[in-house]
Amino acid sequence: MRRKISLLVIVVLAAAAAIIDYGCSRNGNLDDIDRDDSVSFDLNDPKIKERLGEDDGYAFAILYGADIHGSLETCG
Amino acid sequence: MGGLARRVSYIKAFKHRSNIEVPTLLVDAGNLFTDDRYAADQLPAEVMTKNKWVVKGYGDFRHDAANISYVDLPYIAELLKKDGYSKRVEEYPFIERLVSANIQPMDDQHRAPVPYVVREITLKRGAAGEKLRVGIVGFSESKPAAIAGNSKQDVYAGFRINDPYESAKKILPELKKKSDFIIALAYMDVSSAQRLATENPDIDTIIGARQSNTMDEPQHFNRATIVYAYNQTKYLGELRIYVKGDRSIENQLNRYVALDSIIPDDQVATDLVTAAHTEFTNQQSETAQASSATTKPAALLEPAESPYIGEETCAGCHQKEAQIWDKTRHAHAMATLQKKNEQFDNECVRCHVVGYQRGGFQSLYTTPQFANVQCEECHGPGRQHASNPGKGYGFMATPVGCMQCHKEPNDPDFNFAVYWPKIKH
Repeated sequence: MRRKISLLVIVVLAAAAAIIDYGCSRNGNLDDIDRDDSVSFDLNDPKIKERLGEDDGYAFAILYGADIHGSLETCG
Repeated sequence: MGGLARRVSYIKAFKHRSNIEVPTLLVDAGNLFTDDRYAADQLPAEVMTKNKWVVKGYGDFRHDAANISYVDLPYIAELLKKDGYSKRVEEYPFIERLVSANIQPMDDQHRAPVPYVVREITLKRGAAGEKLRVGIVGFSESKPAAIAGNSKQDVYAGFRINDPYESAKKILPELKKKSDFIIALAYMDVSSAQRLATENPDIDTIIGARQSNTMDEPQHFNRATIVYAYNQTKYLGELRIYVKGDRSIENQLNRYVALDSIIPDDQVATDLVTAAHTEFTNQQSETAQASSATTKPAALLEPAESPYIGEETCAGCHQKEAQIWDKTRHAHAMATLQKKNEQFDNECVRCHVVGYQRGGFQSLYTTPQFANVQCEECHGPGRQHASNPGKGYGFMATPVGCMQCHKEPNDPDFNFAVYWPKIKH
C-alpha cells in the first residue's frame, strides 16, 4: 500500500512538472525574459495595440534609444 | 514623454504580444551618463549618484549593450578604474556591456572598455530553431570643440578617442568571425555614420545618436540599415528584422514608438526610478545648501553682474501685465517641479525659471527671486531697460521663442493659438 502511495505521488509530481514545462516551452525563449516580465495592463486595449503595431512575422527585434544623459526619467 | 518606467513597460508588452517567441535586444547608442559640471577630473557627488542609478537601471532591465560616447567618459573613468573593478562589476554587471572600439585610456590605472559584445539568440521565425550570433560594437566621434572654429577634442577625461573609421577596419574582421549579424552603435552625425557603413560592408545595422529630435526614414548603405535614436529616448526606436529560412536577412523595418501617457509606467521600474530620484534629490539639496553658504546670491550682485531684475521690479511699472502673469501657470512653474520633487534637476529647472545659466537663476537657495517663468525669460534681461525705460525693449518672436521650452518632446500638445490666450497681456 505504501509503495502504491509513493508511486501515485511520483506520478502526480511528474505530471505537474510536465504541465509546467509545457507552459514554459510554449512561450519559449526563456533566456530572453525576466522573471518579473509580467504585464499588468490590458494588451488588447486599442491604444496599446496601436502603439505595438501589427505582429507581421519579424524574426527578432532591436529596441533602441540614446541620449538620456543620466536621467532615468524626463521632466514634466 | 519617455522615461525608464514607460520604456520597460513597452518592452514587456512588446515581448508578450508575440507570445515571447521573438528575441528582443535592447541597446543604447550613447550619452547615457551625464558629465554636468565635470571639472578638475571630478564629477560632483550628486552627478555620480545619478549615473550610478543608470548603470543599475540598465542592468536590472536587461540592456544588452550601451555605446560609450565622449559625453560618458568622465563617469566611465570611474567605472573602469582597475582599482576595485571586480567588485564593481560584481555589483553592476552591466559595466561589462558598455562597449567602445575606439576609446582607450591614456594611463595604466584604467581598463580599456570592451570593443563589442556578442549575444546569441534562438530564432523561432524565419529560420526557426537556428541560432544567430549578434555582435554589438560601439564607436564615438570626438568631443566637439567648446568654442566654434576650434578643432575637436580627441582626449577627454583621461581617454583618447581614436579615429572611428580606422578602429572599425581593425575590429570588424575579428567581430565578423564571431557574429552572424553586426550592429554598430555610433555616436556621431549622419554623414559620419554613412561613411562608417560605406567603408565597412560587414555592418548590418547602424544605430546612431546625436541628440536627434527628428525621426527620419532609415537609410541604406552597402548592406547596412542606418537609423537614429530619438533624443532622451522619448520615442523608443524599434527595428524589426525579417530572416529567411537560410538565415539571411530579408528586410529591416524601423518605427518609433511614442513613450507617452498611453504607455503605463512599469511598477518595478517606477520603484527603481523613485529610489534614484530620492537619493539624487537629497544629495542635490545638501550640495545646494552647502554652496549657498559660499556663493554670493545674484540679489547681492552688483547691477553690472546680473542682467536680470526679477518680476517684482518689472511690476513696479507694468502692474496690469504683472497681475495677468500672476494668474498664469508660468507664475507657478517652480511649484509644478516641487510637486514632483524635481526642483534640483537642472535638466528640468532650465524651463521653470528665468535666466538659467545666463546670469539669472542658480538655485532655490541662492536666487529664489528668479524662480518661475517670469517676464524676462521671454522678453530678455531687463536691467538696462529698468535703468533707462523706453521703447525697443521686450520684443519676442512668437511662437519660435515659446518653443525653446514648449518643444514637441516636452510639450507635444503645444499649440500657440490655444496657449497664447492663456497668457495674453
